[in-house]
Amino acid sequence: MQWHLGCRNLSVGFDHQEETVQVLDQITVSIRRGEKVLILGPSGSGKSTLLSVLSGIIPDHVEAEVTGEIDRQEACGVMFQDTDSQFCMLHVDEEIAFSLENRQVPRAEMDSIIQQMMSMVGLHIAPHTPIDTLSGGMKQRLALACLLALEPDVLFFDEPTAQLDPVSRRDVFRLLQDIAATSNQTMVFVEHVLDGCIEWMDRVILLDHRGRVIADGEPAHIVTAYRQQMEEAGIWLPRLFPYSWSDIVADPSHPLAAELHREYRERMERDRSVMQSSVRVQTDRLTIGYRKRPVMQDMNLSLYAGEWVAIAGQNGSGKSTLLKSLLRLEPALSGRILLQDKELRKWTDRDLYAEAGFVFQNPELQFVTDTVYDEIAFGGRQRGWSESEVEAKTVQLLREFGLEQHREQHPFTLSLGQKRRLSVATMLLFDQKLLLLDEPTFGQDARTSAELLRRLQQRQQQGTTIIMVTHDMELVDQYADRIILLQRGEVAYNGPPYQLFSNESMLQDSSIIAPLPYQLIHQRKERNVI
Amino acid sequence: MNSNGSWLAGVNPSCKLLAHLCVMFMLMAVSDPVITLCLWLLAVVTGIVLGGWRLGYLLKRLLPYTLFFVLIFWMLAAFGKGEHVIWQWAWFRITEESLNNGLTIGLRMLGFVTYGLLFTSTTDLTALMMSLIHQLRLSPKWAYGMLAGFRFIPLFQSELQQMKAAHKIRGYKQKNSWKAFARYALPLFTQGIRKSERIAVAMEARGFTGTRNRTYYLTPVMAGKDWLYATGLLIVAGGMIWMLGFV
Repeated sequence: MQWHLGCRNLSVGFDHQEETVQVLDQITVSIRRGEKVLILGPSGSGKSTLLSVLSGIIPDHVEAEVTGEIDRQEACGVMFQDTDSQFCMLHVDEEIAFSLENRQVPRAEMDSIIQQMMSMVGLHIAPHTPIDTLSGGMKQRLALACLLALEPDVLFFDEPTAQLDPVSRRDVFRLLQDIAATSNQTMVFVEHVLDGCIEWMDRVILLDHRGRVIADGEPAHIVTAYRQQMEEAGIWLPRLFPYSWSDIVADPSHPLAAELHREYRERMERDRSVMQSSVRVQTDRLTIGYRKRPVMQDMNLSLYAGEWVAIAGQNGSGKSTLLKSLLRLEPALSGRILLQDKELRKWTDRDLYAEAGFVFQNPELQFVTDTVYDEIAFGGRQRGWSESEVEAKTVQLLREFGLEQHREQHPFTLSLGQKRRLSVATMLLFDQKLLLLDEPTFGQDARTSAELLRRLQQRQQQGTTIIMVTHDMELVDQYADRIILLQRGEVAYNGPPYQLFSNESMLQDSSIIAPLPYQLIHQRKERNVI
Repeated sequence: MNSNGSWLAGVNPSCKLLAHLCVMFMLMAVSDPVITLCLWLLAVVTGIVLGGWRLGYLLKRLLPYTLFFVLIFWMLAAFGKGEHVIWQWAWFRITEESLNNGLTIGLRMLGFVTYGLLFTSTTDLTALMMSLIHQLRLSPKWAYGMLAGFRFIPLFQSELQQMKAAHKIRGYKQKNSWKAFARYALPLFTQGIRKSERIAVAMEARGFTGTRNRTYYLTPVMAGKDWLYATGLLIVAGGMIWMLGFV
């Protein structure tokens, strides 16, 4: 029997250094026409591989050892997570046209189809806009337009929002939901953020870490019945689903509502009195910018010992530039920065980077040696520490960050979460008192980010000042003592997160999505007024 | 490479490319400084009249090469061989022949740069690639592949910058510049390979086969004005050589 889309007894392995690494093991899945299916699993469980097999990328374009039967549809399209490496043209119209050219659509029909696709995905810009001027969210809209231009029967999505900030993610999910509601196309998703997409799925397929199907059924059933397995595997669980937001708002005795209330009270009561401690970094009328053009002007900020500060703001608001200029990686246009009461200009490189560390968004770009052990030991050796001293400190950090088993591995061969932890560990060899992080939990699964944050928290308790740039407001709410919001060239807010999240007008202005407990309180208030 | 909206930007890219290559070839064949100067001035005048160049733009772009020109000129002129000495001081010995040589080589270099600039400043990259497919029968596989590759260049630059900053923090100092190069090159290459693989998969997943079985959104054609520009340029350049060669 021929299925619309699916596989019987599918096993997939990749050749890796003369041995075959088994990724999928005896999988049987059948997907009906028009169904919206979400594939879930821990990292390394072969979710993306399954999607690649169903879409025909494996074995047509990527080599792998495949056994079993596969039923595919010829007309299909795939959307990838990397916003930059799925385009091959320079302008929006050319990119959509590329799909049409491949399908041999006559030139005369192209313009109207391009217009139609652009309005369908909500790209209200000039068709000949250069692609590199688009934001991440816009790029994913364009990617979707290019897929729809293929007129596929089946659409595949491989973590389409993994590289987007929460606001763009919400918008892309809404768009996908609209398209799912109006078309009869089959849609298959791999996604690690479930809020905003699991609600409108017909089915969830759950894989385990060995690449086997452990559950296949209704989303609500899977999420409740397999909650524990999902949690153990490090899959981000949806905050609301299977409950709906309107139920929770309407029903004060709802268990989830009670929990959100408890969280809210906890945040309000939390002691945020670290402010009295000594000043670690101070900026005095600091102006920063790209090249000569100022982005943020006359900033007077103080950052204290043992404080966890989040810097938030929209793309291009100067968050990353601020972070970099605090360590001289980006020159300040004017004003002064004082690190421990000494002007930043007067610090030597050697002293400065013994006092402060910087964790980049892409950890790969900061690795300088060939093994995990050497990577951590590097700074000590550079400073002529004795080998026993280096050894003691390095082993301690390896243990602290759970990298002991990997000490001889090349840093590039680690998993994403391990790479991130290694990049943080390398920055703590001198017990740095100031740690700057750019999007520390970006693209990681629930377990690895929780692990990293717990370790950072330990460091914070020992007096390290942690400053992070992030879009993730849940993270800010849970960990940060203070949030600094940059907006339109000025510091729009500087204080405890709960005050910002309770200030509705400010939130709307800055397009920040407050964490659920605050949303609940706010909506309750609104209902009471009505 | 972007079109700048001038008259020259409307000329078929392949036609323009070939015409400029021809003139560059002429530059190579000519060994008279006056003719070389005229051919160079032809490029400057074309740029101003047809290519939409402003004087400021021209100065900004050509100034670095002018310094280079002076350097080449001096090197060849002051140390060249020759019979007819014009001026001699210490080990500098300027002769008529060396002066001629210096001017020719220097102006030839300027001419090359200016014709190149005339092409790049008025040509849209996408249009060039499409024109290569249609007029010069380049395989779509290569043309679209090169277009995809061009998107990497700015990405590469920002990654290199970030890597330098990261290494600075770690106190990484490498005196041997080859070792430093290898250090930066490896991660950049691995990233580059990974990215290009992803792009290749994405392109194939969208039905790209690399064959000519496709339609085209942009189809540059050869029109009257293209022939006009190419023949005009070549006749004027050839005319200059012919006329001045007999004076």
